[in-house]
Amino acid sequence: MEGVLAIWQRDITKFFRDKARLFGSFTMPVLFLLIFGGGMSGTMETMMAGNMGETAADFNYIEFVFPGIVSMTLLMTSVFSALSIIEDKDFGYMKEILVSPVSRISIAVGKMFGAASVATIQGVILFALIPFLGLSYDPLSVLQVIPFMFLLACALSGLGLLFASLIRSTQGFQMTVNILVMPMIFLSGALFPVNNLPGWMEAVVTVNPVTYGVHVMKNVMVDVENTPAEVAEAMGLNLSVFGQEVTVFGAVVFILIFAVLLALLATKSFSRANA
Amino acid sequence: MQAMIEVRGLTKTYKETDAVKGISFDVEEGEIFGFLGPNGAGKSTTINMICTMLKPTSGDILINGYDVSKEKNRVRESIGLIFQQNTLDTKLTANENLKFHCRFYNVPKNVREERIQEVLAIVDLTESRYSKVETFSGGMQRRLEIARGLLHYPRVLFLDEPTVGLDPQTRAHLWEYILKLKKEQGITMFLTTHYLDEAEISDRVAIMDKGQIIAVDRPSKLKDQLGGDIIELSTNDNDQALKEIHENVQDAEVTVHEGTIHIKVASSDAFISSFLKSLSIPVTKLNIRKPTLNDVFMAFTGRNIGEAGDI
Ligand SMILES: Nc1ncnc2c1ncn2[C@@H]1O[C@H](COP(=O)(O)OP(=O)(O)OP(=O)(O)O)[C@@H](O)[C@H]1O
Ligand SMILES: [Mg+2]
Repeated sequence: MEGVLAIWQRDITKFFRDKARLFGSFTMPVLFLLIFGGGMSGTMETMMAGNMGETAADFNYIEFVFPGIVSMTLLMTSVFSALSIIEDKDFGYMKEILVSPVSRISIAVGKMFGAASVATIQGVILFALIPFLGLSYDPLSVLQVIPFMFLLACALSGLGLLFASLIRSTQGFQMTVNILVMPMIFLSGALFPVNNLPGWMEAVVTVNPVTYGVHVMKNVMVDVENTPAEVAEAMGLNLSVFGQEVTVFGAVVFILIFAVLLALLATKSFSRANA
Repeated sequence: MQAMIEVRGLTKTYKETDAVKGISFDVEEGEIFGFLGPNGAGKSTTINMICTMLKPTSGDILINGYDVSKEKNRVRESIGLIFQQNTLDTKLTANENLKFHCRFYNVPKNVREERIQEVLAIVDLTESRYSKVETFSGGMQRRLEIARGLLHYPRVLFLDEPTVGLDPQTRAHLWEYILKLKKEQGITMFLTTHYLDEAEISDRVAIMDKGQIIAVDRPSKLKDQLGGDIIELSTNDNDQALKEIHENVQDAEVTVHEGTIHIKVASSDAFISSFLKSLSIPVTKLNIRKPTLNDVFMAFTGRNIGEAGDI
């Protein structure tokens, strides 16, 4: 346990010490919020609420996209934080860790928690923008969603750990992750609904953990009970996979299993003696 | 008494290279054991296998009685490592590097502060405790790594080329620390180096070349095996001089290295005056010395290369 905490704490300490990175990591989601939330919201609303008729006035794109952008931030930060593994290898510190008696699962979990904490902190900071965007979520729902954000971030950093263990160079890692992160965002329902897609895209949506993350975030944050059915539809509050309605509980379980599997895979990669 | 490190039939084969070819040796408790060999001899590969970082292709290793392939964590607790490359986190302070190390090794909380002060004092870094490691000189970083390696009171300390890239003064200083450690803490030390003079401080030296150990013994014994003294001389015409030497001298080994003639004799006193008289060519440089490990290494590798038919 001490090992997990030490590895976790080191990554957090370094995150807060690296001012450039700290600043840079906020610009991207804020930019997205400005573009999608401000500039494009009119267009998106007309597009998405087109066939809604009367209730169209109730549909607010910013309310739709905000949980999506928070999820996106979690995705980017979680996955990219795994870069610290490659850096640790390059700068030799990974040897100090690997040659110590810290169990391999503690190393994997410590690294996962480190990246996930950084991502969650960033996501939570975005909540500070809620009043400025003219949104009003129930504060209790917002609090409730934070532990889930951490879980989601764990799953996504697990993905980062997997890539980091397969790819040796920093550039290679950044390229691969960039290529993978884009479809994961666009095919998750974070920025626009993912209904009526061609089959192969549908398949990506189905296996994409971000889909379930976004689903839970929206359902917890948005006041589902007082949302008209058409608006709920347009907001993508109802997600179905293989003709089955996905419940919030089901989605949480999916993410949990995903996170555990990736933690085990990362443990395995740390256990190979040749590091 | 059981040896601190026991290595039996250890091999490591990479795709194309046989980096280590079936070596066996023991390291006794409390001794400084030196691994000496040129670049690419397989020293780092051997050290990495002994300290659980690299899976051997075959062979057995026991440290402190624990099997390296089966009881990794027991082994890891028993050893400290100073790697060939830096493994400090330079973005953190010295203090932070040491604190994290204590936590990785489960050093009890109530002794951490005391130990940190102790190891910093050993390497003279008490003043720099709260500075970032990136502001340290190469020598200071090396010393900090040694301090860190001692924090958990390892039974064996591995030092892989601990002085590489340091200036001669810092090197000498670092060896002082290492010897002090051996004297004060009685730690078993396993070190690799390709500086021959550094290997001299070892209690025993294993000479490694091309993945094989070609000799293991006390440095003095290895040198004694060569026997007598070495006379180095240069002349205006080395070829002519060599011819004359071969004519006049029977029981001496003569070799040429970089324009200098080396003659090994049992005793230089009796030999030198008559020898010089017998030479018709003026001598431009003359030096008489005892053999060093350098001569030992040349003797061994020279013979090896000869046997392999490379020359
Ligand atoms: N990961 C690897 N893959 C393939 N070959 C390797 C690898 N690591 C080392 N080798 C080869 O194994 C041999 C022994 O290397 P090693 O690093 O053990 O030498 P060394 O004695 O430590 O040398 P140096 O004095 O340069 O540190 C070399 O020929 C090297 O090229
Ligand atoms: Mg080496």
